[in-house]
Amino acid sequence: MTQSRNYDLKAVTGAARDDGGVPHGCLLVEFAEAVLGEDEEALTRARATLGEAIGPAGLADAAGVVGLFNAIDRVAVATGIPLEAEKAAASADFRATLGVDRFDVDARA
Amino acid sequence: MSELYISSPSAIRSDLAAAQARAWERIGRPGTWWDATARVAIAAETRHASVCRLCRRRKEALSPTAIEGTHDSLGELSEVVVEVVHRVRNDPGRLSERWYRGVVAGGFSEEQYVETVSVVAHVVAIDTMARGLGFDLLPLPEPEQGLPSQYRPASVKAGGAWVPWLEPADVSGAEADLYPSGRPAANIMKAMSLVPDEVRGFFDLVSHQYMPPLAMRDFSREYRAISHSQIELLAARVSALNQCLY
Repeated sequence: MTQSRNYDLKAVTGAARDDGGVPHGCLLVEFAEAVLGEDEEALTRARATLGEAIGPAGLADAAGVVGLFNAIDRVAVATGIPLEAEKAAASADFRATLGVDRFDVDARA
Repeated sequence: MSELYISSPSAIRSDLAAAQARAWERIGRPGTWWDATARVAIAAETRHASVCRLCRRRKEALSPTAIEGTHDSLGELSEVVVEVVHRVRNDPGRLSERWYRGVVAGGFSEEQYVETVSVVAHVVAIDTMARGLGFDLLPLPEPEQGLPSQYRPASVKAGGAWVPWLEPADVSGAEADLYPSGRPAANIMKAMSLVPDEVRGFFDLVSHQYMPPLAMRDFSREYRAISHSQIELLAARVSALNQCLY
């Protein structure tokens, strides 16, 4: 995903329940899912567990990123922007692995 | 508004709190195609959409178009604006170009559409963060007096998106600051360029709530209390949940 390290991208789709090579990856994913979900108890637990693991400043930044991408996704899909050609080429293999091409703007037509 | 989180015992960076305060103030000011009263009404409707029974039934249906009905709304906006706000807020992964063409044909200008999406996005970004931290939602701003500027860049044209946009090669004059120099502008930056002030405003928030453009790919150091890899994992998981390929 970044740098020259190995990450398990299955964490992105929720297909794997481990850290995926990212420090506290599982807790981060659970937090993101809880924030976007409707289970208030799950959110309270996820917030407390992640905050204990990464500290209050980390929790604040994590919540900010979840909020920002919850918004920027809406800008992207509501304006119908395509993935840039160079990004599409560079990500073709792992998009196929993750099965996320069904979310493409053309697929939504 | 710079005291946005002053009463909350948290570790929110001051630059992020200030960026959110600026965003909140912008919602309460006249925009480019909506006056401030309409912008605040769109923000209020964005929040109210979470209790819409029609949206809930549509979300559970195989196709949102299979369910007809009327949105549960606050009654301050026209039906077509409410439809846009609710669909973008509640079911973004199933928006289609056909749906977009339909709302534009229904008396909603493309400029108003883009500004509406932007206001919804601002509210979603700030409210979702507040939910993540267990904070109460901020009170909506009081709308200021004034008329929308109705400024439309001369060089916008149809491109790769549903909405017209401004290509970097066509940028001049008032839009010279819109895109970063020295590298291609990402499509997400061009997405709302039909209304340039919304690009400026939203990407001010992006720079502080996520990262500034140059920091995104600078792996020589970390800019936040969580690492690049942790940030990208969160971003990717949220995008997958929202069914957003981009």
